[in-house]
Amino acid sequence: MLTIRDLVKVYPGPVAALQGIRLDIPQGMFGLLGPNGAGKSTLMRILAGLLEPTSGMAELDGQEITSDPRRVWSKLGYLPQDFGFYPNLTGAQMLEHLLALKGVESPLGKKRLVAELLERVNLASAAERKVKTYSGGMRQRLGIAQAIAGNPRLLIVDEPTAGLDPEERLRFYHLLAELAEGRIVLLSTHIVEDVSVLCPRFAILSEGRLVAETTPVEARALLEGAIFEGSVEKGGLEDLRSRCHVTQSMLSEGRLRVRIWRQDGRVPPGFEPARATLEDAYLVLTHRGRVAREELLLAGAAR
Amino acid sequence: MSFRRFLEVARAEFRFQTRRPLFWVLLIVLGLMAWGMSAGHMRISSGDSDVGGKKAFVTSQFALAQMLCVQVMLLYGFFLAVAAGMGIIRDEELKVGEILHSTPLTPGEYVWGKFAGVMGAFGLVLLVDLALRAFFNHVLASAESSEFIGPFAVWNYAWPALVMAVPTLLFFGGVSSLLGAWSRKPILVFALPTLLLLVCLFFVWDWEPSWLPVALDRALMLVDPGGLRWLDHTWLKVDRGVEYYNTQPLGVDLAFGASRLAFAGFGLASVGVAARLVARELRGPAPVRATTPAREREPEHAVPSPGATALADLRMHASPRGLVAGIIEVARAELRELRHQPGLYLFVPLILLQTVSIALVRVGAFDTPLLSTPGTLAVGSMNTLTLLLGLLLLFYTVESLERENARGLASIYYATPVRTAGILFGKALANSLVGVVILAAAWLACWIVLLVQGKVGMQLTPFLLTWGLCLVPTLIAWNSFVALLYALGRNRYTTYALALGVLIFTGWMQTRGHMNWVGNWNLWNALQWSDMGSFELGRNALVLNRLLYLSLAVLCIALAVRVFPRRSVDTARTLQRLRPRALARAALQLAPMLLVPLGLGIWLFTIVEDGFEGGRYEKLGKDYWRKNIATWKDAPKPAIVAAEVDLVLEPARHFLHTKGEYTLLNDTGKALGRFPVTKGPHYRNLRWTLEGVEYTPEDRAGLEIFTPPVPLAPGASLHLGFEFEGNYPEGATKNGGGTGNFVLPSGVVLTSFGSEFVPVVGFVDGVGVDEDNKSDPKVWPRNWYEGVTKSGFGNNLPHTTKVTIHAPAEYTLNSVGTLASDTVENGIRTSVWVSDHPVNFFNVVAGKWDVKRGKGTAIYYHPGHAYNIDEMLECLDGARQHFSEWFYPYPWNELKLSEFPGIANYAQGFPTNITFSESIGFLTESDPKAHAAFMVTAHESAHQWWGNILEPGEGPGADILSEGMAHFSTILLTGEMRGERERIELCKRFEEKYGDGRQVDSEKPMVELDGSRPGDRVVLYEKGGWVAWMMLDLVGRANMLRGCQEFIRRFEKGPDHPVLQDFTQVLREFAPEKEAYDAFVEQWFQQVVVPEYKLENVTRAILPGDGGWEVKFTLRNAGTGSMPVVLCASRGERFPDEQASAEKPPPEPSDSNVVAAAEPKEKAQDEPEPYRASRTRVTLGAGESKEVVLRCTFEPQLVTVDPDALVLQLRRKFALFKF
Repeated sequence: MLTIRDLVKVYPGPVAALQGIRLDIPQGMFGLLGPNGAGKSTLMRILAGLLEPTSGMAELDGQEITSDPRRVWSKLGYLPQDFGFYPNLTGAQMLEHLLALKGVESPLGKKRLVAELLERVNLASAAERKVKTYSGGMRQRLGIAQAIAGNPRLLIVDEPTAGLDPEERLRFYHLLAELAEGRIVLLSTHIVEDVSVLCPRFAILSEGRLVAETTPVEARALLEGAIFEGSVEKGGLEDLRSRCHVTQSMLSEGRLRVRIWRQDGRVPPGFEPARATLEDAYLVLTHRGRVAREELLLAGAAR
Repeated sequence: MSFRRFLEVARAEFRFQTRRPLFWVLLIVLGLMAWGMSAGHMRISSGDSDVGGKKAFVTSQFALAQMLCVQVMLLYGFFLAVAAGMGIIRDEELKVGEILHSTPLTPGEYVWGKFAGVMGAFGLVLLVDLALRAFFNHVLASAESSEFIGPFAVWNYAWPALVMAVPTLLFFGGVSSLLGAWSRKPILVFALPTLLLLVCLFFVWDWEPSWLPVALDRALMLVDPGGLRWLDHTWLKVDRGVEYYNTQPLGVDLAFGASRLAFAGFGLASVGVAARLVARELRGPAPVRATTPAREREPEHAVPSPGATALADLRMHASPRGLVAGIIEVARAELRELRHQPGLYLFVPLILLQTVSIALVRVGAFDTPLLSTPGTLAVGSMNTLTLLLGLLLLFYTVESLERENARGLASIYYATPVRTAGILFGKALANSLVGVVILAAAWLACWIVLLVQGKVGMQLTPFLLTWGLCLVPTLIAWNSFVALLYALGRNRYTTYALALGVLIFTGWMQTRGHMNWVGNWNLWNALQWSDMGSFELGRNALVLNRLLYLSLAVLCIALAVRVFPRRSVDTARTLQRLRPRALARAALQLAPMLLVPLGLGIWLFTIVEDGFEGGRYEKLGKDYWRKNIATWKDAPKPAIVAAEVDLVLEPARHFLHTKGEYTLLNDTGKALGRFPVTKGPHYRNLRWTLEGVEYTPEDRAGLEIFTPPVPLAPGASLHLGFEFEGNYPEGATKNGGGTGNFVLPSGVVLTSFGSEFVPVVGFVDGVGVDEDNKSDPKVWPRNWYEGVTKSGFGNNLPHTTKVTIHAPAEYTLNSVGTLASDTVENGIRTSVWVSDHPVNFFNVVAGKWDVKRGKGTAIYYHPGHAYNIDEMLECLDGARQHFSEWFYPYPWNELKLSEFPGIANYAQGFPTNITFSESIGFLTESDPKAHAAFMVTAHESAHQWWGNILEPGEGPGADILSEGMAHFSTILLTGEMRGERERIELCKRFEEKYGDGRQVDSEKPMVELDGSRPGDRVVLYEKGGWVAWMMLDLVGRANMLRGCQEFIRRFEKGPDHPVLQDFTQVLREFAPEKEAYDAFVEQWFQQVVVPEYKLENVTRAILPGDGGWEVKFTLRNAGTGSMPVVLCASRGERFPDEQASAEKPPPEPSDSNVVAAAEPKEKAQDEPEPYRASRTRVTLGAGESKEVVLRCTFEPQLVTVDPDALVLQLRRKFALFKF
């Protein structure tokens, strides 16, 4: 179990990046959603021991990790959002170096282990090429390989599928699913679809606060009957926004296809009920924050 | 190019640079230097050092140019290179490039904009620097510094900045930009200033052997990026006088002006090339036309093979590595990266070149070239290696620590379980390879030097001792400090700024003399090598110093590990950690590591303070001076007529025990109720007797006052006994270096000039005197020399000596006189030396020597230093023989020369017992063209006559009778034994030394020379020798020698000791033409003159008819003085043989411009073309010129002024013309 209690991080400015986060993350996959600047990466870096919090604490399996990050480093697999490698080493050399730093061993032996890991992320053919010749996607896969090495107890992956094409993304999902058995996997992403596919539970951060902790089913259920879809003239969007909560709008054939959320469940003229998606729930929650969740709960109870 | 976009880039870069710590550190350093220099700490060597004398202004164009040259190269260069070179690299690391170059911004606008921004920032620094100088000089000038400050003139600041600083800055900025753009490697950016600093500091600015052709010297001036060589050689080297420097503008000749423009242009052109490189890189590599079908590449996202192993089957587990395993792994990866760093491959040949060139330019006494030995090479290259490795390690360490951040790997890297100490040590271990490679290259260079030299074999021990035990701790300490700076600052630029600031501060402390063993972390100039014993002087201090800095290294490492920015700290929590309680807790944890360096530092400080250069001795000296200067300075004192000393030496513990007795005679003409005797501050258990009875004198802070029961009547004598023991020298030096007299395991040197092993009768002038209480030299009254003149040094009367020395049997013990007995008993040798002819002073020297004997001569030398013994012995024999013939029969039985350890570099001519430092003569590099060992031996041998047999009096100019005449004797002996060619070369070397060292404004006439002014030394030695040589030419050799003999005969026994006026008076009796003689003496002794001849409008033409040639030219005396001088048109090599056999000079020409062609010699087969010359003689006064015509029967190649080196002149190199 990863326990986070009242975690606060204030940067000089002051900028409150995290404002009292409380979470209990059990074994398995856990998603972290939120807009840019919500505090996801800050939370990730604190849990990875790379950033000291202003206050609060986190425990991994009962061991406090924020005051002494060495406790987490020996059990951690970390894939940050933005990273690089030594350009003049080959992929195999780089991975071998990181495995050595992490103390990763296997009965297969180091060389074979490196080969197997690279095979898993489909870099076997580029193993002997220098990293500086890798494409962005190849670097991402190399990053994934080092993150999953060593059977880490806690795996933190921040935007892991950035730069991966759809086929690689699927492969990575399969890998994560495999990994989620027997360990805590914390997945931070913008892609709501990833969370809906992979994560039995997820949290939403917004402006440094935890605005929701729920499951995909529950999140969709909260909005059931309250999502409507229709189209309006381009100029009519502002008027619509003033009357109800617009979750999405997309220009299509000269008109705007719009999805709205109405707590009272009444169908607005020109609109039809639509099936709530996780994206709707995310957008509603991030825009309205905790208030929205309570409202959702109340509205759901009323319905 | 869009000016708007260019300006935007420039503006952004300017703003960035002016916010960097580098910028502000540089400004602070420059500000402090401007303030310091306004006090006159760095001035042109010109002017009168007397109080109220005219001083060189620090605000003159020359002074400001000199300061700017040095500052731009030493300071601006580094900071500017980092700023300019890292601009593009920084953008690449920040991944800004992709966005920047997807805008309309062109590569040219980008690169030029960055360059302009950086140059704008450093231009601002230069302006602020100049403004601060002006402010400190003209607004805040103190009363003390007002002598050095001239009137304010903007152009005095602007012109030197434009000429000297701006081109160098443009050069540095432009080339650094190119290096950054081309290599994208920070190390190469830093290589440029490092390379230039080393090359300039240790070669371009310094290297000027006497044989250097004018053209090469000029070329070096033009390739010097700082311009300092040009400034020095064109304007400063030969003093033009303070009036000139203070008032005249800095003239720039065409060639130098073009050179400055070229440097500026090169810098700008480099930026242009950089822009092209960036443009090319953005376009990508040129498409390659495939000649064979391209191999089909496996698509990146191919479906994996069905047999991919499940993760669980890999059975991975992680067990965090130990510290050592982590170190090894980090070091391995770091080494792989280092292989790709071009800097390493650049610096290896650089250090090779540097070490070799330093070895080539080392000079010893009288500017003689030195033989290189492993020890001298190891110590001699310490400063270079320290500087180079210090800078390299700074750059490599910082870039290594920054690498993970720069590559974006930091988040992954620092989240692994490898320990922080493992990361730091691993990187340090890998970077130490840089040091190892450089040291290996330096050692290889030393080996090459020794091989080429061909006289001394390679030994590893000196290198292991010096580089291993002394240099390596410096590098460890420095590296640790840099790591700590980075850990605290968390920023590479802050680290560079602070580290460079520390280097500058250390250098300032050294140059201002404020450094001591405690602070001298890099042992700059602290080590002196002796083949006779390693680091014996101050060994304790050296060991403590090394331990201190190693322990500080441990502390720095511990702190660095603690604060290394592996994890970004929280500001609020940091403030909590700075609370007193938290700090106290942290301090307690670090206490063990703090206590050790603290304890060592205190211990070392105590040793220094208690040592013979420390505060305790300083106070003793000051007290001695303060208490006694008014009363006892010129108080009458008795003379020693007999000295009997029993000396016990224990070199292993620097110990001596003296028991002795003086027989003192009152030769003052008045009764002496009291007389002073100076004791040494190291005397312990001191006991005195007066006529055999225990006596306690009045102790006046080291000056003992004896009051005999009955005043000592004139002509009466008494016996003063003394006994004491002590360590000499006591404690350690202040900051390394050497000392003149000592008792050490490698050798003993003690003299009666000071109170080292015997007390000194009288008050000793100079003790306790420093800049604060130094007075101007005494102004002597007219005719001061009339009557009886006291001796200038040593005892007033010659006296007898009996010196008994006891020391371990392996030592040979030498003193003055004849060896009466030499016995060994129970491992102790006892040697008794008795003067076989009275002496004025005496010494003791001991060592573990071999000996080689000649004709009434002997040389005692270290067994490993036999290189020049034959030459030195030949000279010693020749000196004894010829000087006895020419001046006075040598009155003593044997003439000895003994070698002592090179912790001091001097030679002293005690009667019968000359002492030479190992670097004088023994390790002089003699070659067939310039027998340097011969020259120094001849000079010191001559002191047996000039200084011992004849002891000069006390007064201005008298020392010329010692040193000047010794140089004159050397010229004579060289001519006699080595031939005319070598004699001429020797005279030229002396002349050049005089020309370079003289101070136009403060040079006094020889009869007024008192040795107190800068520039007096070259008058005393070189000019003194030359004037005597010119006098010989004037009066004739036979007359000169007879005159010298008569002079010595009249004054050798005292009590009247001679001065220059006595010398010229006696020699007049032997001058055939009194009027000419008087005019000569008036010019050369009573005035300050020196001609400078210039040849102008030189032409040659074939004469019709007889096939002869006519050479026409104008000779101008641009100097002062009036001397007859020979002019010569010649052809062929005058001295083609290696043997400088005596060649008779050609017949004397008549005074008119008449051809006087020498008959050509018979040309033997395979011989070089015979030498032919046509000569005439003219006399030119100051500023005069004359048309000269020389007729020759041959086609002349060369026109020379004074080909026989008979007239002292300035810039002789320019007084010749080659057709």
